[in-house]
Amino acid sequence: MGKGRSLIFNLAQWVIITSFALAIILPLLYAIIRLESVTGNSSLDSIILFFENPETLDALKFTMVESLFSVILTLIIGLPLAWQLGRYEWKHIPIIRSLLSIPFVMPAIVAAMGFLALIDQDGPLQKIGIDLRSESGFIGEISSLTGFENTGHFIALIVAHAWFNISLIVRMVEPTLSTMDPSWEEQLRLLPAGNSRLGRIRNIWLPFIGPAIACASALCFVFSFTSFALVKWLTPNNSTMESLMAESGGTAGIYNYRVDTSEIVLAICLVQLIILITALGFTSRLQRKHSLRHAMVSESSARNSRGKPTILGRITILSGLIFTLLPLILITWSSFIVRTVEDGIVSNEFTLAAWENVWAGDNSTIALHEALGNSLIYALITLVFSLTIGWVIASTINRLELSGKVRMAKIVDLISLAPLGISAVMIGLGILLGILRWSPSLFNWFMVPVLPHVLLTTPFVVRVMLPAIRSLDNSFEEQAKMLGLSEFRIWIHSRLSFLLGPLAVAGSLTIAFSLGEFGATWILVRSGSWDTLSILVDQLMSQPKFNPLIYPMAMASATILMALTFVLFLLAEKVRPSGEGSGF
Amino acid sequence: MNLKLFTLIGILLCAPLSGCLDESVADNQEQECVTLPAGHDDDGKLRILTYDVLALTDSMVEEFESSSGMEVEFIKESDAGGVLDQMMLTKSAQQADLMIGLDNSYLKTAIDNCLLRETLFTQSPQFENISTSALKPYQGELAIPFDQGTVCLNYDENYVDGENVTLPTSLWNLTEPQWNGKTAFPSPLSSSPGRAFMIATIEYFENDDDNQTDAFDWWSEMSDNGATFTSGWTEAYETHYTGGYGEYTVGYIGDSHLTVSYCHSPGVEAFYSSNWTHSTSLNLPKSSFHQVEYVGIINGAANVAGAELFIEHLLSNGINTLMPENNLMYSVLENSSLPETDGFRFHADIANQPAEIPISRIEMEMEQWLTNWKSATQ
Repeated sequence: MGKGRSLIFNLAQWVIITSFALAIILPLLYAIIRLESVTGNSSLDSIILFFENPETLDALKFTMVESLFSVILTLIIGLPLAWQLGRYEWKHIPIIRSLLSIPFVMPAIVAAMGFLALIDQDGPLQKIGIDLRSESGFIGEISSLTGFENTGHFIALIVAHAWFNISLIVRMVEPTLSTMDPSWEEQLRLLPAGNSRLGRIRNIWLPFIGPAIACASALCFVFSFTSFALVKWLTPNNSTMESLMAESGGTAGIYNYRVDTSEIVLAICLVQLIILITALGFTSRLQRKHSLRHAMVSESSARNSRGKPTILGRITILSGLIFTLLPLILITWSSFIVRTVEDGIVSNEFTLAAWENVWAGDNSTIALHEALGNSLIYALITLVFSLTIGWVIASTINRLELSGKVRMAKIVDLISLAPLGISAVMIGLGILLGILRWSPSLFNWFMVPVLPHVLLTTPFVVRVMLPAIRSLDNSFEEQAKMLGLSEFRIWIHSRLSFLLGPLAVAGSLTIAFSLGEFGATWILVRSGSWDTLSILVDQLMSQPKFNPLIYPMAMASATILMALTFVLFLLAEKVRPSGEGSGF
Repeated sequence: MNLKLFTLIGILLCAPLSGCLDESVADNQEQECVTLPAGHDDDGKLRILTYDVLALTDSMVEEFESSSGMEVEFIKESDAGGVLDQMMLTKSAQQADLMIGLDNSYLKTAIDNCLLRETLFTQSPQFENISTSALKPYQGELAIPFDQGTVCLNYDENYVDGENVTLPTSLWNLTEPQWNGKTAFPSPLSSSPGRAFMIATIEYFENDDDNQTDAFDWWSEMSDNGATFTSGWTEAYETHYTGGYGEYTVGYIGDSHLTVSYCHSPGVEAFYSSNWTHSTSLNLPKSSFHQVEYVGIINGAANVAGAELFIEHLLSNGINTLMPENNLMYSVLENSSLPETDGFRFHADIANQPAEIPISRIEMEMEQWLTNWKSATQ
């Protein structure tokens, strides 16, 4: 490449990275400045006020408690699955891995609907005597023993978070386990430090898989901490910091009107930022540590030496699969069941009425096919932007690393991760206030929600593309150059052709996450004609349900959203490079 | 320096930058209301800002579109409070032409903030058909009532059986042990029925025999007595209340036997359950609030003519008399009533002396009431 063109190329890369960084920072900064101006409080005052306001303190307590319990439960469910899956020879392991990973890409609103169906009056949990809904029986006893209000709904929430996050544990811990040299364990058994189970856990398992567990736990904490749709629907009496911020967001940033909500939003945003940056920094450090211990022996030889799974192993994996798929099956089932009440007697009817109604739409809600179209349009536009930006960022990080500029590479890496640490609600609010301030005519422009979609999906593209770009063999480029190919063809043959797999994975994930994005879209979609599928589900569920069709209509919309995400994820799994068990 | 630390310090130090926001000065100034230019392009469409008002049925909107030749687009908020929030937020560049759904507890705030402009409908003969009860809270040119109802307490007759639990004769009865953890109230911060009931309690306790306590003492005792506070009416009525249709819906908790709804809600229950209900209203004097919902042209509308036509359509006999069936609220037209079908009228109660607080007082004191309510219930 000529020097001039290389300069232009580098400049273009930095323009894209800088624009991405500004797109994250400016809405956040503008939202903060505006809220400071409305409340008359500085950011430091707001942080102090946060700890003086019982409402925000309650939200902090609830968020911390639910996040910690979610992490513990995720580990309790996820570790046995990872252990069994990582140590033995399983037939169809890619399919098992894919099925266990489905929850992670499912839109949160779909997960919420699945768990509402699970704890429903006629749901499977009630049938086996677990009443999380009205908290009778032993769930009620737990409530009265602990003095903890709404125990049933709290349990439903943390189980839903565990459902959402088990794939993090499986995908991060299983590859470490499956590549550990089995002879280590055998040798340790002969030593005094390894002749008890506890000794082996302390001396081999914890040092070996500990960083992977800690890393997955930290990510699980982050996702549970910022959970919004699940909290909104499963624990209606409690607020996390994110849901309290979203509820207050509607009146935030308006001068001389409900200034208390602006105070709440500003205070939560800042405290949440501090907590999430700390958690992400911790995750990043653990990830580096974790990557050092990876790939000790080939996966197949380690598995071969341990042989077929035990009965206990099979039961564990089967239970994991049932746990994963049950809420999704219930969503589909519920979309066909309509309740009728005659003189207080309830009967259920199997009917397509909800599907017909939601497909046609009415003045209250957009038609299902239109919402589907909108979701796909947003997802495709997001795909184009996110893949381009994500690839550019990943290539830049790799180039900086190769040229020894490790510190700069880390900074760009941190920029790419930043959207995960910033609340989607806050980004949405910043964009909304910014548009109203500088360009109100854009207020109802359909492209507005694309911006947060791009910001929130790009980190995943970078995570998928970066390892693939790092592993590219530069000798192919040299060989292509020697063949005298044009620069475009060199790029195609030495880079693109090797990156098609990861690109497809990143693309599918981008579309899946864009389809499920809820927080920012919820704040930003102001014109009913651009409602997406996840907004449609939420709108239907928010309507008074004296009309018995409303709930199955919401479930029908969630089914379409789920099916679409499911197909995309299977496509991604199909093209995922073989042997790549971990990561997303 | 560590980048994370740098970012944080940067954000924390941005306070002085707030001075850059010149609009804060403009927005803070007292202003006389003037008719604003259109906040968005006039493309012939009629944009309606509303929440999920059930009266806006498909057929009603289609009828309007075919008679006027105008396309209607809805900008939907979750509730009446959301409609006001949106208008406040977009004050400098309104994105809709017509507002539907603000009630008399929110209306004065919208008027005082110059969010509405005059309609010619008050000069129309149709305006004469509006009942005096609907015009009582407000009868100016900035908003026209389109439906009404009275917000009051509803209770489950299966719980209040007259033997184990007797019918409350005072709101103070609800602070007694048999009601511990068994009441649910939508928050006045985010729900219009919640706000309406809070206003009713102000008047109730201003007119009781006890001069030592006020409404917020009662709210505080209710909070201590385990009352549940929800963000909206739907959560209180559908998720917590045992007397309504909520018991057949997903997510139902059913831990409250008394909640806030409309005095005619038992009639709606019967209407949808073949004349069967075990919910009824608690008819204590001054504990209810007559709620009127309004339609009004937004100051900054682009399609004013279309908005005027829609108001006429909404207040026409054929549409407005169907409010009970379509919108589950009373019509505002003279001589209209609830249908007899499936016990709708039979089970709908008439409020006994609703609270009468003028909207000017509501606007003046609402911020303080909300602050007091928050402190009382935290």
